[in-house]
Amino acid sequence: MNETGNTPGNRLTLVTSLGGASGVAPVAAALLMEETAAGKTPLLVEVTDDQPRSATLVSPTETKALEASLRDLVSEVAFRARGSLCIATVVDDESAMNSLHALLDGLGREAPVAIALPPDRYREFVESSDTALDRIVFVADPPDRAGDRALAELALGEARELARTAELVSAAPGRLASRRALAGRRSSQGQGRGRRAPDLVAESGQATPLVLGAVFVLILGTIALVAIAGAITGKARAQSVADLSALSSARSMKNDLPRLLAPPTLPNGAPNPAHMSKFEYLMRARLTAVRIAVKNGASPLRVAVRFPDSISFAPVTTRVTVRSRVVGGDPGKTTDDWAEARVGAPISMGSVPSMASGGGYSGPLAERQGKGLRPDVAAAFDQMALAASAAGVTLSITSAFRSDAEQAALFAANPDPTWVARPGTSLHRCATELDLGPSAAYGWLAANASRFGFTQRYSWEAWHYGFVAGPAPCSEAGNSVGAGGSSESVSATALPSFVPAKYRKPILASAMKWGVSAALLAAQLYAESNFDPNAGSSAGAQGIAQFIPSTAAAYGLSNPFDPVESIDAQGHLMSDLLKQFGSPALALAAYNAGPGAVAPCNCIPSYPETQAYVAKILALLGGVGAISPMPMEVELVK
Amino acid sequence: MKADSGQASIEAVAGIAALLLAGLLCFQLLATGYSATVVDGAAAAGAVALVRGKPVEPAVRDALPGWARSRVSVRRLGERVEVTIRPPSPFAALSDRISLTSTASAKSG
Repeated sequence: MNETGNTPGNRLTLVTSLGGASGVAPVAAALLMEETAAGKTPLLVEVTDDQPRSATLVSPTETKALEASLRDLVSEVAFRARGSLCIATVVDDESAMNSLHALLDGLGREAPVAIALPPDRYREFVESSDTALDRIVFVADPPDRAGDRALAELALGEARELARTAELVSAAPGRLASRRALAGRRSSQGQGRGRRAPDLVAESGQATPLVLGAVFVLILGTIALVAIAGAITGKARAQSVADLSALSSARSMKNDLPRLLAPPTLPNGAPNPAHMSKFEYLMRARLTAVRIAVKNGASPLRVAVRFPDSISFAPVTTRVTVRSRVVGGDPGKTTDDWAEARVGAPISMGSVPSMASGGGYSGPLAERQGKGLRPDVAAAFDQMALAASAAGVTLSITSAFRSDAEQAALFAANPDPTWVARPGTSLHRCATELDLGPSAAYGWLAANASRFGFTQRYSWEAWHYGFVAGPAPCSEAGNSVGAGGSSESVSATALPSFVPAKYRKPILASAMKWGVSAALLAAQLYAESNFDPNAGSSAGAQGIAQFIPSTAAAYGLSNPFDPVESIDAQGHLMSDLLKQFGSPALALAAYNAGPGAVAPCNCIPSYPETQAYVAKILALLGGVGAISPMPMEVELVK
Repeated sequence: MKADSGQASIEAVAGIAALLLAGLLCFQLLATGYSATVVDGAAAAGAVALVRGKPVEPAVRDALPGWARSRVSVRRLGERVEVTIRPPSPFAALSDRISLTSTASAKSG
């Protein structure tokens, strides 16, 4: 639309069309709204056959006042306040010109006035009017023929004789701009020119686009956030599938490890039905991984399972890769999520020390419910807990082995000998005593504990049971139960069945001499050489205990191929390693990989051979109850 | 300008109401989306506990933020852990009707 510059607010403009162009009234309204200063109300006089436009719901006070003041001026003219614009509608009939002139004559013209006139009324108006026009504006379609341009030039030339300026508008406002102008709203263009808008806050419709924009931005932002979160969740879900599959595969290995490690043949040479081949062991782990991945929504064709330490005699690590499609990416584009899990030996056997010391019982401790027990007591408790469970009673151990130091702390807190024995006198230091619960189990215990070798020590302590079916508490025989001991009957049961008869005595002797579990030494010999006194290895290890020459020399072992000498040196070395590392798992790792590989990290080195070695021995030990029955855990490695 | 001011007030009231409604809807959308993420993680944590032979329900609750612990229910169906959560909602009528469930499976024995 043409710009006419800032002009005083009281000019009279005539707007009509050329060549049947539409948009006369919107152009007139837009010009008025664009050029009217703040605080003044422009008047649009529209000559039309149509019904008068309806008033808007809300209009400025000035516009309403103008509408009211003009209402009685000419009875044939309808006045409507529309936003900041007042519109006078003159019915296009025979008296139209009279009404129009009467209106113009009666106006004070304190604000701009524009007349929107049909083209067929233009000549009649200008010939009959003596009102001075400030401007004549022709609305025309863009001229595309020479004839149109000539007609426009002719009209403009004639108009310049009638008014101070004449203009041609060749681009009528669009539908939205027309509606805005005829609703008395200012165009954004007008505001952009620096003219002060009446009041931006009060301007009707200004808040609406702002609010809509804010709502749009809010919703768009939320959708973007949800989409990002969805992508992250999808990625996390795929990783979770890999994690759970790998862990499940490792769990399968953990369950099957004792069967893998079981001797393939029985002492009589017959196949051992408890033995599981390595192929079957790995296949079961693979199938478990795939089955769990499928249960978690993965396609079986997109799951890959491999065993990084499969060359080991006892693989304990599994890696699962799950391939998934990239959401929103190319249909063929995929991403891999993988996880590695293993059957791991805990560095420590919980909070229970591996060996009891400091007065009372002196020997290995078996862990039950986080408490230490003499191994034969633990085995009896297992039987009793199983029977109690079958009767619907769950036994819990409140207290078991207590060193003198622990007893001293307990007595200091409760210095009543009736309830807490003085340090050095409590039977709990013998690792044969159990404080059991809950109170609901007391009745069952009173009726059944004796079947498993336990007796209620004191009539006033319904929870305190002592083990009386084995060696006496804190006796030499009791100390030797875990270490191999001198009691043939007890020691024999402490050794696994796979130990050849000819090596039982040397193992028991070494265990007693060096204070190491006989079962531990036996399991080690089985893992090292399968009790072959002439075994050798490519690394130079020799004999039944697989000593390398330098270590053999350090422990005074002159002939590693002598099984009795070797087993004695083995007990000596393990005793030293247990003292150095304080944990059977770390001591075993150090025996296999060397103390130099274990000490820096105080962990089991990540050598597959060492990990399998430790896992194998701990599994064997768990089977004979020398340590906690669940010594190994499944854990995610990567 | 009194009438103008009135018009602006009407628009402002309508605008604020629209913004408020849009904000609440966005909050509901975000709360639901976040709950979906949280419940997935909790189900996976429960399944990890299952495979490691640990109690499932404490593991699920430990994996949830504080606000969610009272809005969750946990079921163990064999090898499957099913966690259902009611996402927070500013609309009381919706609060009890929306629930998100996530499952995860792992070898249990």
